[in-house]
Amino acid sequence: MPATRPLPELVCPAGSLPALKAAVDNGADTVYLGLKNDTNARNFAGLNFDDRTAREGIRYAHQHERKVLLAINTYAQGGDISRWHRAIDEGADLGVDAIILADIGLMEYARRRYPELRLHMSVQSSATNYEAINLAQELFDIRRAVLPRVLTLDQVKQVIDHTRVEIEVFGFGSLCVMVEGRCLLSSYATGESPNSHGVCSPAKFVRWEHGSQALGARLNGILIDEYQQGEPAGYPTLCKGRFEVEGDTYYALEEPTSLNVMAMLPQIIDIGVAAIKVEGRQRSPAYVAQVTRTLREALDTAGREPQRFSVKPGWTQALSKLAEGQQQTLGAYNRPWK
Amino acid sequence: MNTLQLTLGPVLFYWSRDDILRFYSEAADWPLETIYLGEAVCSRRQQLRGQDWIALGKELAESGRQVVLSSLALIESESDLRRLRKLVENGELQLEANDLGAARLAQQQGRPFVAGHHLNIYNADTLALLQSLGARRWIPPVEMDRDTLAAVLQQVSNKGLDIETELFAWGRLPLALSARCFTARHYNLSKDDCQFRCLEHPDGLRLNTREQQAFLTINGIQTMSDGCHSLLPHLADIAAMGVRAVRISPQWQHTERVVAGYQQAIQALNSPLHTDIDLAPYADSRLVDGYWRGEAGIAAIGEAHHAHS
Amino acid sequence: MRIPELTLPASMASLLGRLPATPPCWALVTTLNQLKKRDILPADMSLLAGHSFEVHVQDAGLRLGFSADEKNFKVASVGDTPDLRLSANLADFARMMLREEDPDTLFFNRKLIIEGDTELGLIVKNLLDSVDWSSTPLQRFMAV
Repeated sequence: MPATRPLPELVCPAGSLPALKAAVDNGADTVYLGLKNDTNARNFAGLNFDDRTAREGIRYAHQHERKVLLAINTYAQGGDISRWHRAIDEGADLGVDAIILADIGLMEYARRRYPELRLHMSVQSSATNYEAINLAQELFDIRRAVLPRVLTLDQVKQVIDHTRVEIEVFGFGSLCVMVEGRCLLSSYATGESPNSHGVCSPAKFVRWEHGSQALGARLNGILIDEYQQGEPAGYPTLCKGRFEVEGDTYYALEEPTSLNVMAMLPQIIDIGVAAIKVEGRQRSPAYVAQVTRTLREALDTAGREPQRFSVKPGWTQALSKLAEGQQQTLGAYNRPWK
Repeated sequence: MNTLQLTLGPVLFYWSRDDILRFYSEAADWPLETIYLGEAVCSRRQQLRGQDWIALGKELAESGRQVVLSSLALIESESDLRRLRKLVENGELQLEANDLGAARLAQQQGRPFVAGHHLNIYNADTLALLQSLGARRWIPPVEMDRDTLAAVLQQVSNKGLDIETELFAWGRLPLALSARCFTARHYNLSKDDCQFRCLEHPDGLRLNTREQQAFLTINGIQTMSDGCHSLLPHLADIAAMGVRAVRISPQWQHTERVVAGYQQAIQALNSPLHTDIDLAPYADSRLVDGYWRGEAGIAAIGEAHHAHS
Repeated sequence: MRIPELTLPASMASLLGRLPATPPCWALVTTLNQLKKRDILPADMSLLAGHSFEVHVQDAGLRLGFSADEKNFKVASVGDTPDLRLSANLADFARMMLREEDPDTLFFNRKLIIEGDTELGLIVKNLLDSVDWSSTPLQRFMAV
């Protein structure tokens, strides 16, 4: 195993200025953020950055020699796509270190208008193979692609071996069981999806019903799950509900679990992954601080002594507390799974 | 104005080889402009292999139909790519690219292709880009509403883009793809040892809410709507917008009746006589058209679905 | 600083529950308005205006009702169904405010109960998350 592989960048989420500072203070190499509108896939009320907080955040990160990425990762909708163009213009003007784009039409705009601007291919582009990534590289000189959370580690390696584009993978956070950019469950139930509105199972459609026996979670009137007294609850994300199939009621699509790749860090470093991403721009500064600190320590340890690396109980404890559903899996990286 | 054409989408479910061959021997006589063929959902489904699909396609093409090979929508492994290359290099039939990688391979071969709905084309700039790579037709994302499509088509016309539009007009909506197999999960099997249980569910497995509302359909690694999307009531509007073709997605039974119904409705567009075609008896779930009306996709024809407001 | 895992004794709750809620409520509203005035609480009041809120400190038996208009928060009687009710024990509210605990984590564990308008709840949660305590004299209490 070559000991000289550079450590992957630790890329952490920021939904607010305090979260950005928490990421920087706790060891993120890079922070990613979005603007306060539907140009980004965490378009939640009260979240994200305006011009003032973005400038302050970028100043803070650059002062600490960290990078800032701007996610413009919804698909530009219909006839008037000026909002998305303005977001790209704003990113260039703010001096972000790269823009993360999903829509190849927007990649074309960004490349044409800002030849020097570094572009990343978003996970929402659903690029699961090197042919797709190399197309974007040839056409728009994208420098990095974020892989959907569906590939095994061998498949990730296969992609890395066949492209010049840097590869970023998800390392921790809520587990999207569907291919990102290829899931319309949310708009089927509510009319709004990540691709079109930058939201999944949006809060304005959520209703909690506090019954005498159970807590019911509805999305636009559709019962996603019910929780008995004392049973841990989950946000009613469509794919994480309990449903009935042929008489069985169970988590028919996905249990509320979190992805956690800590146990695989030496292999991830070894195959040449360029960056590890933490999910959760919608989460609080407390979450960002704790996840960033833990992964920083784990990553540094794995880099120092990959052969002897093992996950410290303290790390697992710190992360499992924050995990949705409090279960953690290696996700697709380590198939087979059911 | 061109007359609206009918197309038959790829079979999204897993049917046995015999059933597939029987289905297409019948479909060869239906009033279809284009037939799409191939496995678009799961790489483990091999009742027909790439060569079989190509051979079947060439046979159908002799009957005068346009035949297009639909590519797998989720391409993960090197063997998926190998199969894709074989499809692209068949030398005769065009490809429906359901992944950017497929679009790249078609472009490299200098072959025109159809840009499938999984390519996420939501605006005219992106469409123009794909057209420049060789797309001659596109299928908008199934969630795109009428007004958004009209705005895109207006710009297509302004730009003078030479590209045809085809709409997903009938069938369970393909909503999501995963690395996991939900059918295997239902049977407590691992994906790699799924025993091909999808064969037992030729229209997928129904997923109900805990209060017995039919909601989704499990189809291996794909999640579909339970509701049967139908644009039948909107065909006049669709034709007027300049859409070239509407797609019928195959179902286990009555596909022929559905095709005939659409054909009749299209003919009626050019006649002053009012025809009342009811295809509900040929769907085994509720008819929905919410997406087209800018509502939740699950909203039934004629029904608003704004429970939150 | 770690907040110990403790719950106020039930006798305390019954005692506090019988006292008038107005003084703590007034203190809460005044604090919110001060923080907003000094730009520490970056509240977009247009998202909050016209809504009623209740903070229910379960173990203290305290229910603090208030509402918002285009400019300010004010003490208000919110009745049985405020637009948004947040319920938790005192220690969990404190952990959340001090960023020792993530509100989502508390919610997943059923320690924080959100009732009413879920989107309004999200707005409030995101508002609290966006307070940059490092720009205030409270900074040293807020270090995670």
